[in-house]
Amino acid sequence: MKLTRRNFLAWAGIAATGAIACDLFDDELRVQSPALIPEDLVKGRDNWYATYDNSVPGGQSLLVRVMEGRAKKVRGNPRFPTNQGKQSPAADALLQSLYHPDRIAGPMLRNGPRGSGRYRAISWEEALNRFNAAVADRGDGMLLVTESRCAGFAHICKAFVDAFGGTHYRFDAMDDSAYRAAAKNVMGVENPGHDIANAYALASFGSDFLSTWGSPTAYSVAYGKFRSRPNVEDRGRHYHFGSRYSMTAANADKWIPINPGAEGYAALALAWAVASTHPESSAVAQITGEAGPGPLRDFNPDALVEVLGIPGEVLDGKSLREFFEDLAHDYMAHGGLAIGGGGEAGAYSNGRFNAEAVLALNYLLGNVGKAGGILINPGPVFPNDPEIAGLTSLADWQRATTDINSGRTGLVIIHNADPVYALPSGVGFGAALANDNVVIISSSPFIDDTTVMADLLIPDRTALEDWGDESPELFTGRQLYPVQQPVVNPLADLDPRSFADVMISAAIDLGHGDSMPAASYEELIRANVAELGMDFTEALKNGGWWSEPVASKAPEPAAGLLNDIIRRAALADSTGGGDFQLLPFAHHTVLDGRNAHLPWAQSAPDPLTTIAWQTWVEINEKQGRAMGLREGDVVNITTSAGSIQALAYLNPGMPPGIAAVPMGGGRRSGSDYAAGRDARESGNVMSILAASANDSGGLTWSANRCSITPMGDSMAVSKLEGGYTSREVGEHPAEQVYKSVSAEGGH
Amino acid sequence: MAIAGLVVTAIVAFILVVLFISWFSNPPFGWGDAPAQPINFPHDVHAGSVEDGGHAIQCEFCHRNVTSGAAATVPAVEVCVICHKQINGSNVTEGARQSIEELNPDQLINIQRVLDKHAEERPIDWERVHRLPDHVRFVHEAHIRFLTQGEARIVTLPVGDEKPMNLPVTVPEACSVCHGDVAHMEEVQPQDGQSLKMGTCLDCHRENDVSTDCTICHK
Repeated sequence: MKLTRRNFLAWAGIAATGAIACDLFDDELRVQSPALIPEDLVKGRDNWYATYDNSVPGGQSLLVRVMEGRAKKVRGNPRFPTNQGKQSPAADALLQSLYHPDRIAGPMLRNGPRGSGRYRAISWEEALNRFNAAVADRGDGMLLVTESRCAGFAHICKAFVDAFGGTHYRFDAMDDSAYRAAAKNVMGVENPGHDIANAYALASFGSDFLSTWGSPTAYSVAYGKFRSRPNVEDRGRHYHFGSRYSMTAANADKWIPINPGAEGYAALALAWAVASTHPESSAVAQITGEAGPGPLRDFNPDALVEVLGIPGEVLDGKSLREFFEDLAHDYMAHGGLAIGGGGEAGAYSNGRFNAEAVLALNYLLGNVGKAGGILINPGPVFPNDPEIAGLTSLADWQRATTDINSGRTGLVIIHNADPVYALPSGVGFGAALANDNVVIISSSPFIDDTTVMADLLIPDRTALEDWGDESPELFTGRQLYPVQQPVVNPLADLDPRSFADVMISAAIDLGHGDSMPAASYEELIRANVAELGMDFTEALKNGGWWSEPVASKAPEPAAGLLNDIIRRAALADSTGGGDFQLLPFAHHTVLDGRNAHLPWAQSAPDPLTTIAWQTWVEINEKQGRAMGLREGDVVNITTSAGSIQALAYLNPGMPPGIAAVPMGGGRRSGSDYAAGRDARESGNVMSILAASANDSGGLTWSANRCSITPMGDSMAVSKLEGGYTSREVGEHPAEQVYKSVSAEGGH
Repeated sequence: MAIAGLVVTAIVAFILVVLFISWFSNPPFGWGDAPAQPINFPHDVHAGSVEDGGHAIQCEFCHRNVTSGAAATVPAVEVCVICHKQINGSNVTEGARQSIEELNPDQLINIQRVLDKHAEERPIDWERVHRLPDHVRFVHEAHIRFLTQGEARIVTLPVGDEKPMNLPVTVPEACSVCHGDVAHMEEVQPQDGQSLKMGTCLDCHRENDVSTDCTICHK
C-alpha cells in the first residue's frame, strides 16, 4: 500500500483508537508497592533510640540504631551513669534474638509427649483462656520462675503471685548468694560499690569482675580510668589473688595463684600485714578494737604457706610474710581497695567467709566511704525493691522440687530462666517437671531445656521489643531508674506478647485487677517516671531518670565484726575425688548458657584462649603433657554427680590441679546453635555439679573435685590463636630485602 | 443551516474551552481527579496534624527516598505493616489500643487488605496521581534540599497560592508546594489550579535564578 497523507492519517487514527481501546497506558499510570522492604531501598537514614538491657550481668543502657523499622546496631548510652557509652559483646548479640529463625512465632500448645518439643500453633485468645484457666485452677501453690529483675517487672510478678497465693523465684545460675549475705553483714547492703576509677592500688580476690562478675561493663569503664591517668606514677596497680587464670587475672599487674577457696585467708593475711605494719592507723584500731594484729594472729602469712599455696616464683625472692608486708605498705600509702569474694570465691563451701574477709579488709585499709574505696549507693528509687530483688538459694530449689513432686505445686510458669539446664541434676528439678500432675507454661521467646517441658507456650517479646525498667545496684552515687522501651516491633511473621501485660490481663480477668500495680507495664513505667517529676519523652530520650549525685554514707563496722569473721574461717571443702578442682566459669558472651542460641555470642572468641563454639577444659600444660594429652584431645570429666566430655586445652597459665570449664555448652533442646551438638565438644558443666550448699545456702559451684580421662579421640579446637606462627619479620631472604629498605625509601 | 452552524460552533467552542482549561489547569467536570486506588489510604489520618485527628507521620517516613534520590518512592507493604502489625483491630496491645478504638469498619477492612497483601507477599498496585512525561527528569532530592536548607530567605513560587514563602521550610511543607496540602486530604488530588507543566517549572527556575538549560530537565 502506498503511503499517502490520507493513508497515514487513517493508520494514525486507527493506532490511536487501538491504543486507547487496549488500555495501553494503564501500566504507565500504575506504581507497585513491593511486599517486602527491598534491600536497595534502605537509604541510610537511621534513628537511634535509648533503651535498657537486663540480660547481661549488671544491666546496661543502650542506644539502638533503627533503620526501616529494623534494629541494626547497639552501642552503650553515653549519658547513662553506669556503662557510660560502653556495652558488653553480649549486648551486641541482642540483635540476633530479634531476627532469630528459631524464635517461637506465637502461642502454641503441646501435641506430643512432654519434652518432645512438638507443638501446634493456637490463637492468642485460646492461649490466654488456657493460661487464665490454669491460674484460676492451680494458682494457689503456683511457682513463677523468672530471670533476676527488679523494679516494675518484679512488682508485677509479686502482685501476680500474691493475688493467687503463689511463689516467685528469681533464678541466677551464677549463684552469688554468699557474697550478698556477706555484704549485708559487713557493709549493711547487699551490693556495696567499688570506686575502682579513683583507687590507686587494687586487690581482687577470685571474682572475675572484668568479664562476668557484678557489672563487668561498668567495672571495665572504671578500670580503664584506673589504668589511664596522665602521670605514670598515678597509674593504678592491681594484684589479683585467685585459682584460675581469668580475664581479671590476665589484666592484673600481678596474678598470685592461690589454692581453691583460699581467698578469705589471702584477704586476712593482707589484713594481718596491714594491722601489724600500721598499728597506729585509726581504721585498724577501729576494726580490731585497738588490739592491733592480735585477733589476726592466726593469719600471719608464715603460718599460711600451705593454706595459700602461693608459688615461690611470684614472690620476687621474698618470704610470704615480707611479700604481704610490702603489699600492706603499698596499699596503705596509696589508698588500697579490695574487691571480690563473690563469683567463684563465694561458691566454695566457705564462700561467705571468703566474701566477708575481703569486704572487711576494706575497713582496715580505711577506704570505706571515701573516694577510691567502698561507697554505698543512695538506695533504690522505689524503696521496697531490695526485698523483691532477692535471689533464690539452692535450698529454695530443693523445696520447690519437693513441692512439685508432692503435688503442692500444680502450676509452674517459666519466663527467661532455664533451671533444668543450669541447676545440678542432683536437685531433681528437671525430673520433677516430668511429673504429669504439674502444668507448665513458658513465656520464654526461645525453646530451651526448661521451656521444652512446657504444655503451653506464650512467647514474650524480646528486650528490644518490649517495655521494661530496672533498679541497678551498681554504685554511681545516684539513684537510677533506667527505662527500656520497644525500639522495634516484632517481624510481621511473629506474634509475641509482653508477659508482664499477660500477667496483668489475667489478674484483671480473674477478678484481681485491684491488686496489680497498673493496667499495663507501660502505664506503670509512665506513672513511675511521672512520680520522679520527669517528662516521659525526656526519660525515653535519655534512657531513664537519674538523680544528682548524693554523698555516700559510710557504714560503721559492727562491734566484734572481725572476730565473727575469724570465727567463721574454714578451709574450703570439696565434693568428690579426683586430681583436679573443677572450676566452672561463666562464658564471656554465652554467660551461663542463656545466650547459647545466639551465633554471635557463640562465635565471639573467649578472650584468653580465643576458642569459640566449643566446650573446653583448661588444664596446666605440664600436667596435661604428663597425662599424655595434646590440645584437642577429647577427655571425660567425671565428678561425683556425673560426667561430660570436653576438649583439652593445655594452658601454661593454669595452675596444676585446676580444671576450668566454661558454662553454656551441652544444651539438649532448642535452637540448633545451642542444642544437639556433638557431645565431645559441647558439654553442660553445670549438670555434673554436686547439689551441695555453702555457708549461706548458695550452690557451691566451685567446690567439686573431678578426674580427667582421655577418651582416645581428638578434634580440632576452633580458635583464632596459634593459626599462624608468630615470628620476627626479616628471617626470609625476601624479607631481608624488604627490611633493608628504610622508611624514607632509601637504602 | 444557520442553527446547525451555531451548534457546531458552540460544540467546538466548548471543546476548545475544555482543552484550554485542561492545558493551563486541571480538567473540569472531575475528568482530572485522581484515579481510584485499590486500597483507601487516608493521607489525613496518617500525615495530618494531631490536632486534626491525624498521626503526624512525616512524609519521608513512608516516601523514604524523597530526600535522597530522584524518585520519592512508594513504600513497601512491609513499611505499612511496621505499624499495622499492632493497629489492626484484633491484636490489641496497650500502646495501640487508643488508635484501634478510633477506627471504623471501613478502615479496618482496608487495613486487613494491606495485611493480606503482606501475608501473600503480593504488591499493592497503586494508581499514580502525579505524573510527569517520560522525557522529563525530576529529582525530588534537589528540590527538597533547595526548600529545606540554606540561609533564611523569602521567595515567591509560581505554584500553589503564590504567597511569599519564608525558606527554609520543613520537608512536609516543601512537599506541599507542588503536591498541595496532602496531609489534610483524605484522597490525594492534584493541587487546584496547578498543572505541573513545563511553564510552571520554567517560571520557578527563573524566579529563583536556577538554570533553564534544556538538559537540566530534559533527558
